[in-house]
Amino acid sequence: MLNRLRKTGRSGMKATTLALPLALFLVVGFLSTSFLSFQNLANINSQIAGLLIVSLGQMIVAISGGIDLSVGSVMSLTSAMLVTLDPQLAIPAVLAAGVAVGLINGFGVTLFNVHPLVMSLATMTFLQGLALLIHPVPGGLVPEYLRTLAVSQVGGIPCAFFWCVTALAVTAAMLNLTRFGLRIFAIGANPMSAARNGVSVTLHRIACYVLCSISAVLAGIFLTARVAGGDATIGASYTLDSVTAIALGGVQLAGGAGSVAGVVAGVLTLGFMTNGMNLVGISPFLRTAATGCLLLLAIGLQRRKVIGA
Amino acid sequence: MDRPLMWGQRLRSAGSAVLELPFAYAGLLILLFTSYLVRPALLSPLLLLLIVRQAAPLGIAVIGQSLCMRVLSLDLSIGGVIVGVSYILTSGLLPLSEPVLLLICLVFGASVGLINAFFITRLRASSVIVTLAMTMIISGVAISFSQLRSPGDAPALLRQIGQLRIGVFPVALLVWLSLLVPAAIFLRVSVFGRYVDAIGANPQAAWVSGIPYVRVVTIVHVLSSLFAVFSGFLLIGFVGVGSMDLGRDLALNSLAAVILGGVTFGSGKGGVLGPTVAALMLTFSFNLLTSLGLGEPAKLMLQGAIIGLAAAAYSARRQS
Amino acid sequence: MVSFERLTKRFGMNVALSDVSLDCVAGSVHAITGENGAGKSTLMNLLAGVHRPDEGQIRLRGEVAWLDSPHHAQRSGISTIFQELTLLPNLTVAENLFLGREPLRHGIVDRSTMRAKAEVALARLGGRIGVDDYCEELSVADQQLVEIAKGISADADVFIFDEPTAALNAPEVEKLGELISSLKSEGKLIFYVSHRLDEIFKFCDRVSVLKDGLHVATRAARDLTHDELISLMVGRVLTQFYPVRKPPQQSSRAALDVSSLIPMEGGPPVSFAVRRGEILGLSGLEGQGQRDIIRALAGLQPAVQGQVTKSSVAEGSTQPLDLTVVATALAGVGFVPEDRKTEGLYLSLSISENIVLGMLRRSSVWQRAKVRTDLIAGLMERMRIRATSAKQLVGMLSGGNQQKVMIGRWLASGVDVLLLEEPTRGVDIGAKAEIYALLRDFADQGGAVLLISSELQEVLGLCDRILVVRRGAIVAELDGAAASEEEVMRFALTGPPSSDRSPNGNVHA
Repeated sequence: MLNRLRKTGRSGMKATTLALPLALFLVVGFLSTSFLSFQNLANINSQIAGLLIVSLGQMIVAISGGIDLSVGSVMSLTSAMLVTLDPQLAIPAVLAAGVAVGLINGFGVTLFNVHPLVMSLATMTFLQGLALLIHPVPGGLVPEYLRTLAVSQVGGIPCAFFWCVTALAVTAAMLNLTRFGLRIFAIGANPMSAARNGVSVTLHRIACYVLCSISAVLAGIFLTARVAGGDATIGASYTLDSVTAIALGGVQLAGGAGSVAGVVAGVLTLGFMTNGMNLVGISPFLRTAATGCLLLLAIGLQRRKVIGA
Repeated sequence: MDRPLMWGQRLRSAGSAVLELPFAYAGLLILLFTSYLVRPALLSPLLLLLIVRQAAPLGIAVIGQSLCMRVLSLDLSIGGVIVGVSYILTSGLLPLSEPVLLLICLVFGASVGLINAFFITRLRASSVIVTLAMTMIISGVAISFSQLRSPGDAPALLRQIGQLRIGVFPVALLVWLSLLVPAAIFLRVSVFGRYVDAIGANPQAAWVSGIPYVRVVTIVHVLSSLFAVFSGFLLIGFVGVGSMDLGRDLALNSLAAVILGGVTFGSGKGGVLGPTVAALMLTFSFNLLTSLGLGEPAKLMLQGAIIGLAAAAYSARRQS
Repeated sequence: MVSFERLTKRFGMNVALSDVSLDCVAGSVHAITGENGAGKSTLMNLLAGVHRPDEGQIRLRGEVAWLDSPHHAQRSGISTIFQELTLLPNLTVAENLFLGREPLRHGIVDRSTMRAKAEVALARLGGRIGVDDYCEELSVADQQLVEIAKGISADADVFIFDEPTAALNAPEVEKLGELISSLKSEGKLIFYVSHRLDEIFKFCDRVSVLKDGLHVATRAARDLTHDELISLMVGRVLTQFYPVRKPPQQSSRAALDVSSLIPMEGGPPVSFAVRRGEILGLSGLEGQGQRDIIRALAGLQPAVQGQVTKSSVAEGSTQPLDLTVVATALAGVGFVPEDRKTEGLYLSLSISENIVLGMLRRSSVWQRAKVRTDLIAGLMERMRIRATSAKQLVGMLSGGNQQKVMIGRWLASGVDVLLLEEPTRGVDIGAKAEIYALLRDFADQGGAVLLISSELQEVLGLCDRILVVRRGAIVAELDGAAASEEEVMRFALTGPPSSDRSPNGNVHA
């Protein structure tokens, strides 16, 4: 951590963090002429908006020293609920569900001392089942006002852009300007020291899981509106994608370091790669394999001192 | 010599020993009882043996997973390994004889285990992330290959193993036992077993005191992947064809079974018997759910609930 | 200023403090000392708000104080500098000073106020520490200064120092002493909890001794002698604290022959030999490279260069030693690390299981594990490991017994060379003497011992030979029985003598 801290504070970013999306940008731009068109770039923006929002949530949990593997299932559940519930109730209901899931994850990790990986794996499985129960077959009708929120354009710029900017601004403000932001960095580095200084570790950790689930709900709302239908497996790939994105962005999975800029870089890397593979015509299954390789690369670059899960 | 007092003490210690048992035992009894009430047909000996046979792949995977958990690691690449094995054996991509293909699968499994172990021991990466990433890679590659050249029928040998019986006992069950029993004995008596306990109790101390940490954890992961290959063999034998959907939920089920069976991160209190009973319990519960008309969603919800509640309960127990 | 009135604290069945009463005045430095388990940490933890008393109360400036949490204690003006520092490495100095009570302006963290106040507090300590430095970059001594700055910036009246000099070198200890007396002259009350008797006599006005949870005595420091203090703590007069040394035998063979060892990149090469039958000590100021040398010999330094050969106990040839963890253990070199809880012992396993792991050292991974309960029982007996049985979990034992289990694990595996870091850290006086006797016995039977210890008295009392290390190089070799504290410190501070001849002969060890 030492050299990294000297250069960029607690962001965890290194030269590779920024070099990778840049390199991909250049390579794909070279390989495909349509890559650099405004239309395609706007497409990329819309494609990564969901991932960006959920990755920001994942970053918050990671900085505090945890991980949330249930984000994909929360997105799926959101999608299922949006098309099956009364449009008046839909938004409050999914938000409430997000808070509930966050609380369950948080309580499990703090009060019951279950390892975050195991706990969020459990909720992930349960919620995926619940989503399929509510909405077994993809389809359904998305409320009109939601559609406009996700798909319309303002001055030629797609809505997705504004979703992204808002999410980034809010998260960056929270992380750098509030007491909460400072304290979760402290908790991630050393929870016992933080507790000795009067920081309530339990409450903060639970809050991080709640914020992460809410971000997954928001991403789910956006995606469902964009796809214009409910799909109970829509979030499946987003779990590992969000972990890959934050790891590529320099966020330490062990806690204590991370930044919004890094997450953007990580998400862009994944976005460029996916878009590039589509344009060049590579099978989507190979995209999964490529993401797996990127994940291994990102993990391999993070050196942990601790041996263990 | 106060007789009643002595008996009272003995009963009390026996009682607490029973309460200390992993939930799997109680769970199995509860399930059998529930089945008796709502679906007694499930309790016929023939059907029970079939369920036991069905549980064999999970049971074999569970041996490896419990080993991993005892050294503070997890192996979620089981699904990927099975998909890979499925493709290698049935796609005809490698036009070799059956025994050679089986051997290649074992080598493939061992390599996956070695790669997992490399990232986990040398680069100190999180085992969950590494093994999930490996699953993504293997499944991604295998499935994209399967678009060009689809998987076919299972090798004859495996189909026979999957369907034959010796007397009343399915061959699959015998394969399971022939892997389970030596593994259990070996862990109990060998130096390796002790090293596994040590690493689980304090990996840092194990490293500093000269225990061959890297070798032990590498062997654990290679064994886990090899067990996954055997699970794959049985599954392919049952189904008869090489399906790319095989073994999808085996990784999570094995995790649930191991936790239910009393093995948690770093502690091997449940031994190998606990997770084995838990594997039986889970398989039985899935059958019960299916017979009651509840499908895939209910299975997932049950899995998730079990993992979460069991892990929480064990933590609560350890804290008291 | 602070009064402890009839404090009692229990942890389960264990009575940590029993009816302890003590009065302490402002503007003084008050030492709290005693063996491990005597209750010193518990008493201070009650004052620090970490625990609450079961009976009795604490008075702060005459008023009864209910200290519910560390945070509450801080706000009441009590600042604790714990042994485990509570600084966060990824926060700046300013952020660390105000963690938990960050100033706000319009709901946002007011960074400029934080930095300004931090600079004021740091200036008092005469530091060259920048408020925007990340705490991971600071040395341990500087980190301690930041902890003190926390107390100053919070206007604390009471400072509790818990084993503050464990990681400091001599000049830094002096500075701490000056700081403490400057705080004292401002009317603060300082509690000094330590095992280091010389520091107690140097810095403190009054000394309180606790034993087995009871307050044994409080005296003025100038009215006590070293031996009186020890006997108060131990309850008996320790005559033979350090075992008798044999006269130096130049003819004994080298167990380990170290030649041009460079433990860390860019460091100087060191060459020395550890002889059979001797206890060799690496001394000098803290952090001068002793740890790197010993860890290199244990096989824990990845970038090591150099040759080391090892001889066997029986008359045999010497073999080159492969400097990796597994190989050194197999070759019969046992390493006892400083931090037994994280690096040494399996706290959740029993004594028997811990020792067996040592016995298995020579077996291959695939063999059957042989558990010799008779050998284990004999070992426990010989080492006087006090426990309910061999099945007791090591985590439940006292520090001294834990240390003995760690050493015992190596002895059971049949090592003939022991490398020890801080062999008696966190060990009470009685157990210390027993460990010294064990090491002496081991050496007398033909073993070789290399140790590093920051307690100079221990090195002078126990070691046959002392190598003084400075900046990674050996600058002096002294005879253990004849050397004095001043001599060691002189070499430690200033390096090799200007002329080639030193009172003890050559410098090449």
